[in-house]
Order: sequence, then structure tokens, then C-alpha cells
Amino acid sequence: MTHRHLLPNEIDLLLDEESGFGVRPLREHVRGCADCRDRLDAAKRVASRLSELPLIAPRYGMADRVMAQVPVFVPWHEAARDAVTPWIPTGRVPRLAAAAVTGVAGTLITGGTLWVAARGDLVATLTGLAGEGAQAAATDAAGSFVVAVFGPQVVTVMQQMGAWGLVAAAGGFAAASLATIVGLRHVATTTRARS
Amino acid sequence: MKPSSVLDLANLPDADVVALAQRGREPAYRELIRRYERPVFSLVYRMVRDRELAEDLTQDTFIKVLSHIEKYRSEFKFSSWLFKIANNVAIDHLRRRQLNTVSMDGSPHATNADLTQATSFELPTHDETPLQELEARELGSEIERAISRLRPEYRACILLRHVEDKSYEEIAATLDLPLGTVKTYIHRARHELRKLLDHLREDGAETPVEEPL
Repeated sequence: MTHRHLLPNEIDLLLDEESGFGVRPLREHVRGCADCRDRLDAAKRVASRLSELPLIAPRYGMADRVMAQVPVFVPWHEAARDAVTPWIPTGRVPRLAAAAVTGVAGTLITGGTLWVAARGDLVATLTGLAGEGAQAAATDAAGSFVVAVFGPQVVTVMQQMGAWGLVAAAGGFAAASLATIVGLRHVATTTRARS
Repeated sequence: MKPSSVLDLANLPDADVVALAQRGREPAYRELIRRYERPVFSLVYRMVRDRELAEDLTQDTFIKVLSHIEKYRSEFKFSSWLFKIANNVAIDHLRRRQLNTVSMDGSPHATNADLTQATSFELPTHDETPLQELEARELGSEIERAISRLRPEYRACILLRHVEDKSYEEIAATLDLPLGTVKTYIHRARHELRKLLDHLREDGAETPVEEPL
């Protein structure tokens, strides 16, 4: 037991209900000393009044006022997840089924891609065939257009003359188109001037 | 973690709600405001003793914290971070006000309660506005007036200790003060409050603490 009155920091130790080696003698002293008990009671009364202070509410709508000025940042991976989430079934069985279908599809696509990549010659052949097909289709379409516009004789002449014939025909067509446009514009201008 | 739409945010610990806010979930932001608007407002209001100003400073605090929520590190308690910003906002304001005006609460250089009281003054009362009446009801009790006479640093420490029930270590972390300084401030604050409220013990009565509206 302590034979002197407690120091202010010792009163604080008791007030904060500290436990430890040095606190027990302080408690014993307080039990036997009316003066120190009185001081501790006064300190407890103040602490009690403080802890009973009510929380005060701000004006209604604090969250709205704050959120109006806070930019909510959504990371890209969260945004992507949000976009995908609605497509994921909620039930356990549908989810397992969806996972199985996705897994099978993914495996097939991956396997197919790897198989095609491993066969470079096949890819080249298929690409060549596709290119030739596209070229033939384009030539046919152009030939049909020329036949419809100039007649089959022109096509025969162009075939006989080869590439130069094609260039001469294209040049002649361009010149004729230009002459037609200029002529029509001249006629229109003259007609407007007369009226 | 489940998506926030199917979670009961009110039952989640702070760290989980903050994690959801960091993932861009607006309901989580609102939940944090809902949890802490009263404690933060109470602290700031008791620091500045002006309701409208406390509203603005509380709002500033939340805007600062939530706008930088991605910077929050989970090893620090969210409430400590929030109270740190709130305290800084309030103290900054009080410092600015000290530079601009004469304090009714006493000289800023007063080193104890007697000097503070001796250098404080009160304006003659006129008709109070409804807001002033509300403030008088909320902060008019003896204990609230006694708190207002403490230095702001003491005020913050004593409020965090006894109203928010924070440990000395948490207060030290919140206010960026050494642990010893926090203990000293709280000790001095208690001592001054005891002196300021001593007459109540002799009178045996106190103006009752009224509930807020």
C-alpha cells in the first residue's frame, strides 16, 4: 500500500482502469484514503459526463450533398465484371451447365485454331483458293458490266488487244464521260442564260 | 466477396465496406457516410461550436476522404483516418479564425483554464435565431461549455477518448501526436474540466444535457 497521496497521473491510471503490477497498490491506497477516493470520484464524474455526451446529427441529406461532389471511380476490371455478371446464371445447376458449355466451346475453338496453325500448307492452299475465287468473281462482274454498257463486240476487241486494250478502253470511257459532263454543263448554262 | 447489391452493407466491417468503395460501389460510399456522419459531425461541431460551419467542415471531410478512398491502406483503421482528416479540417479552420478574429473563447496564448476564462468575453444577448437556439440547446450544457473552454488540442483528445472511446494509441495515431503528448493532453483536459465543473459538485445540480432534435 502507498503511504502518500496519489499523483494526478496515478489517478488517471485508475480512471482508465489500467491493470498491471503498479496499479494494485494504488487501488489499495484509495480504499483507505478518503482524500484520494474523493479525487478519483471527481475524476470519474467528469469522465462519466463526457461519455454520456450525445452524438449530434447533421442536417438531413449529408450523403447526397457529399456524393454530389465525389467522383466514383470504377476500375476497368470491375466494369468488365459488371458487364459479364448479368449473363452468368444464378442457380447452381445452370451455372455448372454454362461453365461446361463454355469449357467445351473454348476447348474446341482452341484445338481448331492450333490444328489450323500447325498446317501451314493447308492454310496457304485454302487462302489461294479463296483469293482465286474472289478474283474470278470480280472479273465476271466487271465483264458483265462492260457487256451491258458497250456490247459484246467491245469485250471481244478488248480480249484481243490484251492489257493495252483494257487501258485504252478505260481511257476512252473516262474521256467520253468527261466530255459528256462538260457538254451537259454547257447546255445547262446556256439555257439558264437565255431564260 | 459477393457483389454489393446482394450484401447487407450495414453488417459488414469497415474494411470490407471500404474495399467495396474502392471497387467503385456507390452504396458502399453512402454506407460509410451513414456510419460516421454523426460521430464526425459531433467532433467537428464541438470543436468549432457553429452548426452551419460544422456542416460544411464535415462535408469537406467526407469529400476529402471519399475522393481519395483508393489511397486508404487497410493496416490503418478507417475511423482513425477519417477522424484525423476531420480534426485537421477543424483545427485548420480554428487557426485561420484565430488569425482573422478576436476569440470569444479567450486568448489563444492562454496556458490554463483560468487565463482562458480571464481573457474570454461574451457578447450581450439579442434575440436568438432558430439556429442559435438550436446550438444553445445542443451545446449549452455545463459540460459542453466546459469543453469549449479547453484548448482545441485538448478538446480533440478528450472527445476522442471519452465520446468516441478511442484508446490512447489510437488517438496518438489519429492526431499524429506522440503517445506521451496524448496522455499529457488528456490529463490536463481532465484536470481543467474538473476545475471548471467543480462548482456543480458543491451546488449538487447541473443543467441537464439535452438530447439533440
